[in-house]
Amino acid sequence: MTRLSAEGLVATAGPRRLLDGVSVDLVPGALVGLIGPNGAGKSTLLRTLAGLLRPAAGRVTLDGVPLADLPSSERGRRIGYLPQSFQPAWDYTVREVIELGASRRPGAALAIPDLLRDHALADLAERRWSQVSGGERARALLATTLVAEPDVVLADEPGASLDIGHRLDLMRRLRAWARHGIVVVVLHDLDRAVVDCDRLVLLERGRIVRDAAAAAVAASQDLDRVFGVRFERTTLAEAGAVVLPVAHRTDAGP
Amino acid sequence: MSMPLRVASRLLPLLILALAFGIAAGHDWAGPDRILRALGGADDLRSRLLIAWRLPRVLAAALVGGLLGLGGAIFQGVFRNPLAEPYLLGSAGGAAIGATVALLVPLGLPSALALGGFSFLGAWGATLMVLAVARGAGTRDAAGLLLAGVAVAAMLGAVRSFLMLALSDESVSLQVVLSWTLGGVQTPTWEGLAWLGGLSGLALGASLRLAHGLDLLGLGEDQAQAFGLDTARFVARAILVGALVVALAVAYGGLVAFVGLTAPHLARWWVGPRHRGLLPVSAALGALIVIMCDGLARSALPPAEIPLGLVTAAVGGPFFLFLLRRRMRA
Repeated sequence: MTRLSAEGLVATAGPRRLLDGVSVDLVPGALVGLIGPNGAGKSTLLRTLAGLLRPAAGRVTLDGVPLADLPSSERGRRIGYLPQSFQPAWDYTVREVIELGASRRPGAALAIPDLLRDHALADLAERRWSQVSGGERARALLATTLVAEPDVVLADEPGASLDIGHRLDLMRRLRAWARHGIVVVVLHDLDRAVVDCDRLVLLERGRIVRDAAAAAVAASQDLDRVFGVRFERTTLAEAGAVVLPVAHRTDAGP
Repeated sequence: MSMPLRVASRLLPLLILALAFGIAAGHDWAGPDRILRALGGADDLRSRLLIAWRLPRVLAAALVGGLLGLGGAIFQGVFRNPLAEPYLLGSAGGAAIGATVALLVPLGLPSALALGGFSFLGAWGATLMVLAVARGAGTRDAAGLLLAGVAVAAMLGAVRSFLMLALSDESVSLQVVLSWTLGGVQTPTWEGLAWLGGLSGLALGASLRLAHGLDLLGLGEDQAQAFGLDTARFVARAILVGALVVALAVAYGGLVAFVGLTAPHLARWWVGPRHRGLLPVSAALGALIVIMCDGLARSALPPAEIPLGLVTAAVGGPFFLFLLRRRMRA
């Protein structure tokens, strides 16, 4: 079974510590959400896990092998990364972008026709990137990541610019992938994070405050403290535990 | 018909037409009948001049143009910037300094080797310098790179002028270097042409090996890295190949502006952004442009010859302004 582990990660930007001793252990079977206020280090942690940032201290290992020692082609094949924003320099077609994603794994290009159908992209394949909508781009980008069948998928707010319908669709696809692979998603909407994720990692100023089952993190008062917001907790028949932000906390500023 | 075949089937006639125009053009215009007679091996003086004098020059112009188109496509791909151009980014200026030194300083090396080697070192050094200046200023976007390139190119131009004044003496004509910096393909010997052809072939081969990496880089540096490209190493390698290509073009054609900007653009409009197609088509279009411009340079003001660089700048400059305007509006 694939295992992605981080031990004592420290990342710095000038004098600021973006990550301050983060350790996390990830295995397939659960959709993991990274949550926390702005500047908590969510994107930095995700990029470090993806091998795009070298930590100042600590290390990330994939099945026991430090990412730094992994050939970049193997890292690219096994770890899929969905960026927060994706703006290609040239106006590739949707198919070209997916083909470039497929080039990570030999033979992956054979799966492109099925993939285009599964992700409802068949009609868009020959369109230029500048000519497709935000929702279509998100689907195409996910397909580009998944086409090489990575063991790990790391997504940085993949639904940030999407309407709720497209966001739900994206989360459904990531949940499906999480059944067999490691999937970590940075999420801003807590209500969706609590409902969609199996496990939540709550970050505050570069440190992990809570790392537990989604329902447990939702119930924890840490959530209110870290975000500086009072949450109302309730249970819905369809979704289970949910949290709803009701007021800004006046006793503790963010 | 597959895409590459379709493109080739249109490019080839265009290239042949351009070659015919190039051979025909000049102080003494040659009609189709004369060209055919000369190619058929006729022994009169004018036919022999056409074969011995004009044909090698047209072929050299084609190769120089091809190298410029190739170099432009590589630099635009590496910098992910459609306004990148060997001339604007200082690499051509750096090559020119190297070549000036090689032309004016008796180095005791075979002149072709010195010219090529020094051009390469100049082109490579100048490109790295532009990158360093842009990075030092904390910018990597199109405008920042361009400004850094313009600044470096201006400094290199000053250094080159100074070298020309300081190093030339009675034995070396300043005129030779000056006309060379204005851009212009000299008529090569057949041996020289063979060298240029062979080296251009190698340059095309080395460039095509960059195609996939350039495609990935076009997705953005982060995404390219996420897709397993060792971006730092790849960019260093691509700049090295790009500098080699530009140095070769500058060593044989002097400073020829804007071809490296125009050819990749036209190629991208035609065959799209994937570099496996873009690189060779850009090279072919560069060849086409320089053959035509060189023909104009030889025939527009007989008996004088306009420097090639002036013709390409007069044609390419407005194209650059057009692109800049489009980009600013977008």
